[in-house]
Amino acid sequence: MGNKLGRRRQVVDDKYTRPQGLYQHKDVDHKKLRKLILDSKLAPCYPGDDDCACDLEECPICFLYYPSLNRSRCCTKGICTECFLQMKTPNSTRPTQCPFCKTLNYAVEYRGVKTKEEKGIEQIEEQRVIEAKIRMRQHELQDEEDRMQKRLDTSSSGITVAPGDVEYSSIAGEEIVSSQNSSAAPTLRQPLQPRQNRDDDFDLDLEDIMVMEAIWLSIQEDGKPRHPVYSEAAPSEQYLLEDHHVSAAMAPVAESSSSPSGGLACAIAALAERQQGGGESSSNHSGNIPAYNMLPGCSRFSNREERLTQNYLPSGSSLEVSPDSRQAMTREDREWGVDHISEVAEVGTSYAGSDAAEDAGRNTSFPQEDEVESSFQTGTVPIVPESFEEQMMLAMAVSLAEARARISAPGVAWH
Amino acid sequence: MTSPSASSRKVLSKIACGRLQKELVEWQVNPPAGFKHKVSDNLQRWVIEVNGAPGTLYANETYQLQVDFPEHYPMEAPQVIFVPPAPLHPHIYSNGHICLAQPLRVFLVQQRPADNDRYVKNCRNGRSPKETRWWFHDDKV
Repeated sequence: MGNKLGRRRQVVDDKYTRPQGLYQHKDVDHKKLRKLILDSKLAPCYPGDDDCACDLEECPICFLYYPSLNRSRCCTKGICTECFLQMKTPNSTRPTQCPFCKTLNYAVEYRGVKTKEEKGIEQIEEQRVIEAKIRMRQHELQDEEDRMQKRLDTSSSGITVAPGDVEYSSIAGEEIVSSQNSSAAPTLRQPLQPRQNRDDDFDLDLEDIMVMEAIWLSIQEDGKPRHPVYSEAAPSEQYLLEDHHVSAAMAPVAESSSSPSGGLACAIAALAERQQGGGESSSNHSGNIPAYNMLPGCSRFSNREERLTQNYLPSGSSLEVSPDSRQAMTREDREWGVDHISEVAEVGTSYAGSDAAEDAGRNTSFPQEDEVESSFQTGTVPIVPESFEEQMMLAMAVSLAEARARISAPGVAWH
Repeated sequence: MTSPSASSRKVLSKIACGRLQKELVEWQVNPPAGFKHKVSDNLQRWVIEVNGAPGTLYANETYQLQVDFPEHYPMEAPQVIFVPPAPLHPHIYSNGHICLAQPLRVFLVQQRPADNDRYVKNCRNGRSPKETRWWFHDDKV
C-alpha cells in the first residue's frame, strides 16, 4: 500500500513543500525538496503540533506531532522532513549515520499515513517494550532483595531483621510468587496438606526456610495494616532474654512452657493449630508427662536447637499479624525464648506439669500454648528426631493428627 | 566548577526548548530509577542526582551529574559531567569529566584515571569534555 502511494504524485499544498522554519536550514536545495515531497518520497513539511491530537505521529527528534512521518530504511523509525534535513541535507554526498540505530548511509522513505495495521503492530511492539521494562524492574528488585537476604544471613544478630521485615513488604511484588521458593512456600502456609507433598521440601536448609518464611510473611502483610511497634519491639525484647538468660521476666510463662526444643517446630505446630481450629481448648494436658520422659534424649540436640531458634525467631515472631494478637505474640515470644535456656528449669517445670489436676487448671488460662507444647512433645517421645527436618516433619504430622483427633474425639486422643 | 562550553552558553533554539520542556515533564512523570532531577528554572542546565547502584562500590552514595544542553540540541549532544566531588572511577577525572572512549562500567576498584592530573590541567579554563578526543584507557583495571 505504501509503495503504491509512494509512486503517485501527491497533492500537497505548495507551502508545505518548504521547511516551516523549525530549523534555520542552511544548504537546502529547495527545488529538490519540493520535487521529493510532490513525488511522495518525503513527507510534506506540515507544521508540527505541540500536542497530540488524534492520529498524529510524534517525531522522535523534535517531539512535535505530524500527520505522517518519513521512515528510516534501516530501522523504520519515524522522522519529520525538517529534522531529516538537519540530519542529512539533500545535496550532501557524505554518508550519514542513522540517528536511531547508527547504521551508515541513513536514508528514509515515505509511505504516507500509517495504516491501521502498522499502528497495531507498533502498539504491540510498544506493549512488549513496556512489559520488558517492567520485567527488568522486577528483576532489579528481586536482586536487591536477594542481596538484602544475604546480608541478613551473614549477620547472625536478629536485630537487623526487624528493619529488614519492613523492606520485604515494600518489595514484595508478584515476581516473588513465581520465584524458585514458591514450590516450598505452601509448606509453611498450609501445614495441613497431605504429607507426601511435603516430603520433597525437606532437603531445604534453614536458610531456604527463612527466606520462604520472610517472603510469605511479606506477601501476607502486604494487604494488612502494619504494626511497626510490634515487629521491632518483640524481637529485641526476646533477644535480651536469650542473651542474658534472665528468667525473672518470664517466670509465669516458664511454668507452663516445658517444651525442650521449641523453636521453629513449635512455631509451625502453632501455626497449624491456629489455622485448623482456632482457640478451642481440649483436654490434652497429659502431654506433659511424655515431655518429662523425653528430656534425657533431647539434650544432645538442644544446642543446635538454640541456634536454630535464634535464627528463626525474628521471622517467627511475625507469624501473627492480626491486630488483636499482639499481646498473645509477645507472650509466646517469651515462651520460645525460654525454651532452650536451661535443662534444669525444664525438668522442674515439666515434672510439675505432669500433675494432671494442675494442668487442667492451667490449660484454661493458656490453652493455645499448652496445645502447641504438648503436641510437639508427644510427637517426639517415641522417635527422637535425628535432624531438624525430622523435627519439623514430626511437629507438623503431630499437629495434624492432633487437630483431626480433636475434631473426631476431643479429649481422648492422647491419653 | 567547569563552565559549559561556548556552544551551550547560547540560548536554546526554539526546537531545543520545546523538546527539553517535554523531556522534563516526562522525567517528572516517569523518572528513571535511581536518578532525580533537581528542580531549577534553568532548562539548559539540568542537575541530576544519581544514586550509586546497589551491590556496587558506589552503593548508598549520591553524586550529581550536570547536563548542559547546547543551543542546537538535539542535533548536538549535551555535555555531561559529574559535579565534583566526582565518583572515584578509572574513567572519571577529578574535574568530573567522563571518559566515554569505552562503555562506562562499574570497576572493582575506585581510583582516578592514570592520566588524571595531566588531563585536569589541560582542561582548565572551562574546556568542555566534548572537545576532548578520548583515547582508550587500559580496560583491565
